[in-house]
Amino acid sequence: MWTFLVQGVFQGAVYGLLAVGLVLVYKGTRVFNFAQGEFGSVAAFVTWGLLLHTAVPYLVAFVGGLLAAVAMGLLVERAVVRPLFAASRLILLVATVGVALLAIALTVLAAQPQARVLPPAVAGEPITVAGASVLPQQILVLVALAAVAAGLAGFFRTDLGLAVLAVSQDPVATRVVGINPVMLSRVIWGLAAGLGGLAGLLQAPVGIFTPGFMTATTLLPAFAAAVLGGMTSLPGAFAGGVAIGVAQNLGIYLLGQQLAVPGAAELTVFGLLLAVLLVRPQGLLGKAA
Amino acid sequence: MALLEVRDLRAGYGSVPVLHGVTLDVEEGSNAVLVGLNGAGKTTTLLALAGLLASESGEIWFDGQRLDGLDARRRVRRGVVLVPEGRRVFPALTVAQNLRLGAWPRRRQRRLVGTALARVHGLFPVLAERRHQLAGTLSGGEQQMLAIGRGLMAGPRLLLVDEASLGLSPKLVAEVFAAVRQINADGVTVLMVEQNAGVLAGADRAFVLQKGRVVFAGAGGDAMQKTLWTAYFGDPLAEPGRR
Ligand SMILES: Nc1ncnc2c1ncn2[C@@H]1O[C@H](COP(=O)(O)OP(=O)(O)O)[C@@H](O)[C@H]1O
Ligand SMILES: [Mg+2]
Repeated sequence: MWTFLVQGVFQGAVYGLLAVGLVLVYKGTRVFNFAQGEFGSVAAFVTWGLLLHTAVPYLVAFVGGLLAAVAMGLLVERAVVRPLFAASRLILLVATVGVALLAIALTVLAAQPQARVLPPAVAGEPITVAGASVLPQQILVLVALAAVAAGLAGFFRTDLGLAVLAVSQDPVATRVVGINPVMLSRVIWGLAAGLGGLAGLLQAPVGIFTPGFMTATTLLPAFAAAVLGGMTSLPGAFAGGVAIGVAQNLGIYLLGQQLAVPGAAELTVFGLLLAVLLVRPQGLLGKAA
Repeated sequence: MALLEVRDLRAGYGSVPVLHGVTLDVEEGSNAVLVGLNGAGKTTTLLALAGLLASESGEIWFDGQRLDGLDARRRVRRGVVLVPEGRRVFPALTVAQNLRLGAWPRRRQRRLVGTALARVHGLFPVLAERRHQLAGTLSGGEQQMLAIGRGLMAGPRLLLVDEASLGLSPKLVAEVFAAVRQINADGVTVLMVEQNAGVLAGADRAFVLQKGRVVFAGAGGDAMQKTLWTAYFGDPLAEPGRR
């Protein structure tokens, strides 16, 4: 069971990264972005393609995948979000669903609808840490997450980071102080896409991956994580992701392994999401609207 | 030539026209007041001057250059800074962070920002005391001071202040007005929008706005005259000296 818990933390970290991107975009541009998972899928496929077709080192392919995700974020911002910004939020939501479907279709065209394998950044046998078996790749994941957390904490202390927080509190007032709203919107989408890309690159080596895998397997838990965090809190969204990952793995252990309930993982996530929405719609860490 | 010259400005929301040709001049270094009934278009005028609302026609000249057509960001850079109606401070940021964002257009000029911050703290010592407090937890008066302080951080040449007195106690109103007078005395040209007639006495120039048009422009004292006041406002309760 201990191993299930630890694996849950790693799985949850991926949900958390995706959830932070969801909340960032939601807070900053009031868009619920269904394409958030596809930033991760596209990053994974670009990295995979670079490793397959070129001789670049892993790190370069990894960064290439991240940059592809950021480029996709900027493209979505320019081509979909900005032209539709005056439209209703529902239309924008549907538009992001369209973006996700388009991205999946394009990856199918480019890479065939087949399961692929992305090797981990560091290979090696599992080692035992505090009674749980952990892969070297997972240690690297922890280091990467700590770096991201420190980077984000630092970013939100800069003028630009403060502006990102400010626009979620009062977009008109950010224009009053002379901040370029288009620039801010780009920063937010680029950052969210980068986080989504990282989530995809961490998730892909866990097993096999197919076009649209992030949308299919991680978007819903990430949404649950964002709701747990109240859709407003970035640390809350990340913590929510970890909580979902742990709960999901406990569900797999208790319901699946012990009681042989089918679909234990999905059952746990849905159950948790429903419970939070019913009991505390403002989220566990969120403020009442 | 006046610092701000507005010629036949028309603006509105969607297809609803609100300003039907506003014309006014504000001299450099002066302290001007725009008064008028609720809904007359005072806020709309300031939004159009600040570039938050596109004007449909007319001209806005600032320091000899056309301002209309520029976005809000460029107008702030030129020194036209709005202290908006309802304060609009960033509630979940600290006082210090709000002031820091006020200096956005010149954030890389650390020395200027430092000087501006010292000036704001001198004007409103309470903002120094509460610099680590979230703006949303401040009282209404303190939020108004923060909104004005945030405006000052940009280094304005023309400060547009929209209903700073709204919802404040008479004591706080006096305090805020005194601060604005001090800012003006320090060389910043001020255009205040007010329903509170108390500001008229100290104003160099007053404009009365009615249904989207300037129907009176003159010295502040003249605007206070009872005849004018009742003619334009028709409400004896709003008469100056009786609040
Ligand atoms: N966002 C808006 N959309 C549509 N009409 C508005 C909007 N804001 C103000 N108005 C209308 O414009 C007119 C002038 O409003 P405003 O400039 O706020 O007046 P004042 O500041 O003098 O009280 C009013 O009739 C008001 O109803
Ligand atoms: Mg108003």
